[in-house]
Amino acid sequence: MNDPLSSETRASAPVTGWHGRVFAASMMAFVVLFVVGLMAVFAADVSYIDAESFAHVIRSPEVRHAVWLSLWTSTATVGVGLLFAIPMGYALSRYRFPGHAVVDSIVDLPIILPPLVVGVSLLVFFYQTSVGKWIHEEVLEFAFQHQGIVLCQFLVASSFGIRAIKLTFDGIDPRIEHVAMTLGSTRAGAFFRVALPMARRGIIVGGILIWTRAFGIFGPLMVFVGTANSNRVLPTKIYLDTSVGKLETALAATVLMLILAATALIIVRIVGLRQR
Amino acid sequence: MIQIHRLNFSVGNFALKDVSLHVEPGEYFVVLGPSGSGKTLLMECLCGLNRIHSGEIAIDGRDVTRLEPRNRGIGYVPQDYALFPHRTVRQNVCFGLETAFLFPSAFRRLFGHRPEESISARVTELIDSVGISHLVDRLPGKLSGGEKQRVALARALAIEPKVLVLDEPVSALDEQTRDALCRQLKRVHRSTGTTTIHICHNFAEMMTVADRVGIIHQGRILQVGTPQEILQRPNSTRVARFVQAGNLFPARAQNSGPWTVLNGTGAMQFRAPAAEAATIDGQVTVMVRPENIRLEASPPENPPPGTTVLEGSIRDAVDLGPTIRLSVACGNEGEELEVSLGKKEYHKRQAGVGDRVFLLVAPQDIHLMRE
Repeated sequence: MNDPLSSETRASAPVTGWHGRVFAASMMAFVVLFVVGLMAVFAADVSYIDAESFAHVIRSPEVRHAVWLSLWTSTATVGVGLLFAIPMGYALSRYRFPGHAVVDSIVDLPIILPPLVVGVSLLVFFYQTSVGKWIHEEVLEFAFQHQGIVLCQFLVASSFGIRAIKLTFDGIDPRIEHVAMTLGSTRAGAFFRVALPMARRGIIVGGILIWTRAFGIFGPLMVFVGTANSNRVLPTKIYLDTSVGKLETALAATVLMLILAATALIIVRIVGLRQR
Repeated sequence: MIQIHRLNFSVGNFALKDVSLHVEPGEYFVVLGPSGSGKTLLMECLCGLNRIHSGEIAIDGRDVTRLEPRNRGIGYVPQDYALFPHRTVRQNVCFGLETAFLFPSAFRRLFGHRPEESISARVTELIDSVGISHLVDRLPGKLSGGEKQRVALARALAIEPKVLVLDEPVSALDEQTRDALCRQLKRVHRSTGTTTIHICHNFAEMMTVADRVGIIHQGRILQVGTPQEILQRPNSTRVARFVQAGNLFPARAQNSGPWTVLNGTGAMQFRAPAAEAATIDGQVTVMVRPENIRLEASPPENPPPGTTVLEGSIRDAVDLGPTIRLSVACGNEGEELEVSLGKKEYHKRQAGVGDRVFLLVAPQDIHLMRE
């Protein structure tokens, strides 16, 4: 028995009159304005530097180190961030407990706080509290270390991932997991075999948000890991070059950063968010 | 087989109150009720998806009240089918069998008696049996409502459940597909012998599939019986209205020899066998189903003893396809009776709107309710 109705035959867009087209055009106008405006700003950066100085900058060992440090720390932050964001997003979406609203708000705090505050707070925590001192002395040293960069990026950026992943789980009907439970799965089995694969796109988006935020921060890093050459990520390098008047070098590094970020985002979007 | 005893559960302002239900082994049981009556909530309690506040649930004599859903042996088809959107049709159907590999007890139960048969062979057999073999590699997003329903059914049957729970399985489908799928559900039930609980709010759907039916309203089971019992002998006006009794009106019952005379307003005077009214006296509600009223164009010469004969005029006639539903005004106080006639019979009577007719109601076709 064949059912005549299938989503394959569904029209992709409704028929609209002139007012529909005007509405669509006005919506698209904002998209164009934003994208063109942003590209114009970046184009100004590109026009300011010449190819020779750009090549010189990217051959510089300092810049290469900063690029490498930025890439691996941001990627590591995505790993650590998702390790927290997936269970936290699921728990905040599925379970109701006393203080749920308070916890939910605390998760969002790093989005509101100036990033610099995170660096200061971490210094105070590791040097002024007994727990912080114990971790610093007995477990792992964070301040002025590369792992400190990951910690700063994690604290500043992970909220974006948690929020994105929670919203994704909110959009998945819990009854789908319930059905999996009637089919023999435990609660954990239903999570790993049903909810998690269904949240794939949201998790990738969460990862992108964490990565982009982590890749761009420098305020807390200057406080918590310092500005020594070995600890300079690309944004720190750009800031320091700008502050001492090396504008051309700073802009060349900025363009490099834009190219790297855009390439990474486009690859992740094309590969990760591709429809099955 | 399934024994629900004094189940209580509440969510928000709604509560299932002291629900007790018994479903026989191999029975096709329908839970019928209007939207918001608690049907789905009750089934979720049965499946273990809601932790009940009090009461007991037993399946095959085993108390399952505190068992996890996976250990209850229930195959569940929810209202919107809840197919796994990231898995193809075949992978959806395979889900329960794959899970069995993780748990020795489930593996023994599903594969112990047929170890030689692979998952693939078993799934192929199921997919063929519900007629979705042409869809195996599709994702659920590409399926129509009827196809999704059959995939969800195959997925639930794959785990060879003791009980199959179908939550409004055909309510979202067009009438033609609904009828076909109801017949298929019944065929599957006959071939597997699985005890089935089917939730619906559609009376015709219930009549197509049910061995027995339980009427639920506002979290309470009002009546349990065969479809004919529910149809002909509802135990309350609420049930009567829900099963489209048609003619319901208040009357005062008075015993008079072998008959109980029922005095309603105006022309509504009927006679019921005294036995029918033995436990009821005083104010009652009289029910006469529209299909139980005979219509004559001329006064009947020798009506059977106790038959009520009412004279009236046809006020309205609605063509329902195979039947015609007439509204007949009787008496001077505007009382109306609904009469349902087969189309052929209606045309034979040569009665049209405005014509004088005579309505005959046999005493055994009168049903009395206390309310």
